[in-house]
Amino acid sequence: MPIYHAPVRDMLFAYYELNPGDSLRSLPGFEELDRETLGSILEEAGRFFSERLLPLNRGGDEQGCQWSEGRVTTPEGFKEAYRDFIEAGWNSIAFDPEYGGQGLPKSLNVLVDEMLCACNLSFSLYPGLTHGAWTALEEDADPDLKARFFPKMAEGIWSGSMCLTEPHCGSDLGLLRTRAEPQQDGSYRISGTKIFITAGEHDLTENIVHLVLARLPDAPTGIKGISLFVVPKILPSAEGELGEPNWIGCGSIEHKMGIKASATCVLNFDGATGWLVGEPHKGMRTMFKMMNTERLATGIQGLGIAEAAYQNAVAYAQERLQGRSPGAGDKPAEPLIVHPDVRRMLLTMRALTQGCRALAVWVAQQLDVATYASDPLQRQQAGELVALLTPVVKAFFTDTGFEVANLGVQVFGGHGYIREQGMEQLVRDARIGQIYEGTNGIQAMDLVGRKLPMAQGRLIERFLVPLREFLKAQQDERAMDEFTGPLSAAATMLEQAAETLLGRGAANPLETGAGAVDFLQLFGLTALAFQWARMAQIGLNQREGDEALFYAAKVNTARFFMRRILPRSEAHFRAINAGGDCMMDFDDRAW
Amino acid sequence: MKVLVCVKRVVDANVKISVKADGSGVERANLKMAMNPFDEIAVEEAVRLQESGKADETLVVSLGDKGCQETLRTALAMGIDRAILVESDTELQPLAVAKMLAAVVRREQPDLVILGKQAIDDDNNQTGQMLAALLGWGQGTFASQVTLSKNQLEVIREIDGGLETLALPLPAVVTADLRLNEPRYVKLPNIMKAKKKRLDVTCPDALGVDIQPRLEILKVEEPPVRSGGVKVADVAELVDKLRNEARVI
Amino acid sequence: MGVLIIAEHHNGQLAGATRNTVSAGVQLGEVSVLVAGEGCRGVADEVAALEGVTRVLLCDAGAYAEGLAEPLADLIVAIAKDHTHLLAPATTFGKNLMPRVAALLDVAQLSEVIEVVDADTFKRPIYAGNAIATVRSRDTRKVLTVRATAFEAAVAGSGTAPVEVVEAIADPGLSRFVSRALTESDRPELTAARVVISGGRGVGSKENFTLVEQLADKLNGAVGASRAAVDAGFVPNDYQVGQTGKIVAPELYVAVGISGAIQHLAGMKDSKVIVAINKDEDAPIFEVADYGLVADLFEVMPILIASLE
Repeated sequence: MPIYHAPVRDMLFAYYELNPGDSLRSLPGFEELDRETLGSILEEAGRFFSERLLPLNRGGDEQGCQWSEGRVTTPEGFKEAYRDFIEAGWNSIAFDPEYGGQGLPKSLNVLVDEMLCACNLSFSLYPGLTHGAWTALEEDADPDLKARFFPKMAEGIWSGSMCLTEPHCGSDLGLLRTRAEPQQDGSYRISGTKIFITAGEHDLTENIVHLVLARLPDAPTGIKGISLFVVPKILPSAEGELGEPNWIGCGSIEHKMGIKASATCVLNFDGATGWLVGEPHKGMRTMFKMMNTERLATGIQGLGIAEAAYQNAVAYAQERLQGRSPGAGDKPAEPLIVHPDVRRMLLTMRALTQGCRALAVWVAQQLDVATYASDPLQRQQAGELVALLTPVVKAFFTDTGFEVANLGVQVFGGHGYIREQGMEQLVRDARIGQIYEGTNGIQAMDLVGRKLPMAQGRLIERFLVPLREFLKAQQDERAMDEFTGPLSAAATMLEQAAETLLGRGAANPLETGAGAVDFLQLFGLTALAFQWARMAQIGLNQREGDEALFYAAKVNTARFFMRRILPRSEAHFRAINAGGDCMMDFDDRAW
Repeated sequence: MKVLVCVKRVVDANVKISVKADGSGVERANLKMAMNPFDEIAVEEAVRLQESGKADETLVVSLGDKGCQETLRTALAMGIDRAILVESDTELQPLAVAKMLAAVVRREQPDLVILGKQAIDDDNNQTGQMLAALLGWGQGTFASQVTLSKNQLEVIREIDGGLETLALPLPAVVTADLRLNEPRYVKLPNIMKAKKKRLDVTCPDALGVDIQPRLEILKVEEPPVRSGGVKVADVAELVDKLRNEARVI
Repeated sequence: MGVLIIAEHHNGQLAGATRNTVSAGVQLGEVSVLVAGEGCRGVADEVAALEGVTRVLLCDAGAYAEGLAEPLADLIVAIAKDHTHLLAPATTFGKNLMPRVAALLDVAQLSEVIEVVDADTFKRPIYAGNAIATVRSRDTRKVLTVRATAFEAAVAGSGTAPVEVVEAIADPGLSRFVSRALTESDRPELTAARVVISGGRGVGSKENFTLVEQLADKLNGAVGASRAAVDAGFVPNDYQVGQTGKIVAPELYVAVGISGAIQHLAGMKDSKVIVAINKDEDAPIFEVADYGLVADLFEVMPILIASLE
């Protein structure tokens, strides 16, 4: 059975040593969060997930969700595990205490989420969708709507879902057709069909709070005519208790490549009662705010899967006796880990995973600052950094999750390809991350087409300024040269590529799309190089003491990243410079 | 009724330990530490006694370095009311630990002391019995069930080959075996609440206990490695080998 | 001066582990054995005949009838002054008793001794047998529990050690025996059996465990299980062999459908002969097995059982 040990030490490193976790304690409500407390929270979360949820992961994959007569049954053990999960309080970490949440930092939630996804990605999606729905309601819902739904959602006995996609419209929501008709009492009648609805129907909670995109009768066409509605599976009474079932049917569930224990539903709304969230026709604005946190969360899924794959691959490579190290002659078989290529794979997995974690913590802490800081300027600047890095985290992390899971299978060889060891499941489960919440291609377009030009091109400076400051501070440190040199080169390429794309994009918008994915990859690699250079700098100053091994491993992994992974950035840079002609000139009749 | 629980901080049960090359002990740097699993069961039992209204105060004690505070906080998050750390950076052996616990017991006057039956690092299985001896109390070791009635404790004990039931007058010492209960998972809000609970720190000197080790560890080594033998082709060959080569059947 | 061994006995029967403890004691000096109980003259005579025993102390009184630690410890302390070493088997009886004795004498106790190095120095496993510590006691008097599987059993020879009667002392009245429920089984007790057949997760179900039981019955062995099999509910908890279960070291240990997790190996790796039957040829159990059979257990177990007719 796959193993998982909560990477608490590395998380604390990222939170307090690499990033200024202690400074968050000045934010209102976060005073209690010292290193020791965060450590205990992470330990207990990791323990619960690895002991209660990890053992359900394989069975969940084999069994999948079952649909019968409009009802969805989750795999064996999910219901009990979910009950224990919400009782232990893991559902409501960052929710507003006014409604029964625990008011802890979003950045803590991110770390807990990583562990949850590592142990059981399918399971994580049920509370994950509650989060999504909560975030959307929190932005723009009336206080009475919040009062009606939030307490039960915080408690976890009501979950959430996000109903966007329709049979004929996925990435292009402007085409959506679901209708909403105003009623005398201020409510709306919602009619239409939604597909690919994660956690749209299941047996874990007594009620499901659907957030549904639909058009009002007077709506303008396209993306500017979409409104957001809250449409519960069972209508709450005035006291917030369960009332009549709403007119929502689950037509079927999808049979998928991975995350099989997550119910992906077709939902039919047949004049279901709902209430407007925010202003009419402004649904997409709310949706985008929600989508940003969801995109970060999706990136974290990739990180969680990567950590799970890495841990299992290391354990296997240390135990499995196979072959001998080169030149060892007739000695008995040695563990896989002696082989250079196995070490290449393991270090690639490690450098990508821990690098992503470092970046995730930076972004997550900035998200807390953007949300809770009292100084408006501080909030704005942090918000800009988060906005810039959100598509990078979503796409680069999920690509990484898939790459690392794939390497995990490779380390296991044939035993990775068969189902028993759970490694191939990680690949299948990781795959969806590159697709949902906006495909990684769309993320790249968001980065290049929206985030780069936004605010007169200021956003990228939020990333480059601290990077340059770091390089300047380290310029006389000879021991740092091997890290700062490659970082500086990557940053220069990133800047040049941004200029190139913006310049060419202005003349020919197709050029933006042609270079977007390479640019996002170049950005991700540079961002990880920045993290690894900083980690190396801390590691170089901690060569003595009990934890010398931990810090030396940081330095060595940083070295591996700079020498063996960062060179990928040059390939992306050259591809960007090559432009899109060779794609666009291809004769369409020849496909 | 007041219940006192003792917990030890040990290398996490999931960690594979390795012996130091110089034979001075096992490698402990960088290892994940956790509450001794048997002590967790002891904590759970105390919390259940309080939840069922049988105990009205619970107290947890740990002895060792500063890191034990974390272990004590876990016990507080599980539901114990208050904690005491006897802080010491020197190696503590069971007799010294029992003496210090006896000193704490004399000060705190609990009616019942619950400990894990053994720690999974040194595997001594001694402290509870020693504590009972020093206090002149009865002992219910390796408990798989504890029933409290007025001034009396009925303990079902795991013994070789079955179970044994003893009745003990209070005060008494109980040590927990694996089947006594299944410890709960700590809830997030309770971790935050535990931060506000009282945790007092004292030291061996303040308790007037001589903690000089009586046992000297001369060497710690890997157990002899057992090398694999042969693969047999079929049942017939196996039976033949067992009969004629190993001569065990 | 010499060694005092506390005999474990039940219902007039000497517990086997006592004989192994005698062998450990012989390495430390002249061996006296205390037989305390009620109506246990027969046990005293049996002990007197063991090779290596030079004296038997018999204390026959109601307070010692059920082997309660509190009165026994007081009795042992009263006669301890004549002895350099006090030994008992590392059974639940000995483990319950000896730390109490040690604390009353204000000395340390050494648990689960597996080797006597010299009069002050002993080897004992720590970390569930993943390391062996060599420990020297600085106390003048040593109190030990002895892991029976690490020492040969003293044979019943022609020895006729004198049996001396010891007076009982006051019962402290700190505990009262209520009842005892021993697992009824026609099979030998797991830790004392000459042959142990254990099943693991590979056995697949409670029903399939009869294959393991049938083989055990053929070889007059005990039935054990890995933690995975216990966790899966195939067998009760007290079948568990391993770090958190029982430590066994029989002459023959047969692991059926057990992969060989470290935690299981800790409980059986001192067995004299280990046989592993598993369909996964890479299962770690084969690294410790003397005889490995890579095969589907459902195919070979019936053949094996039949071939032992």
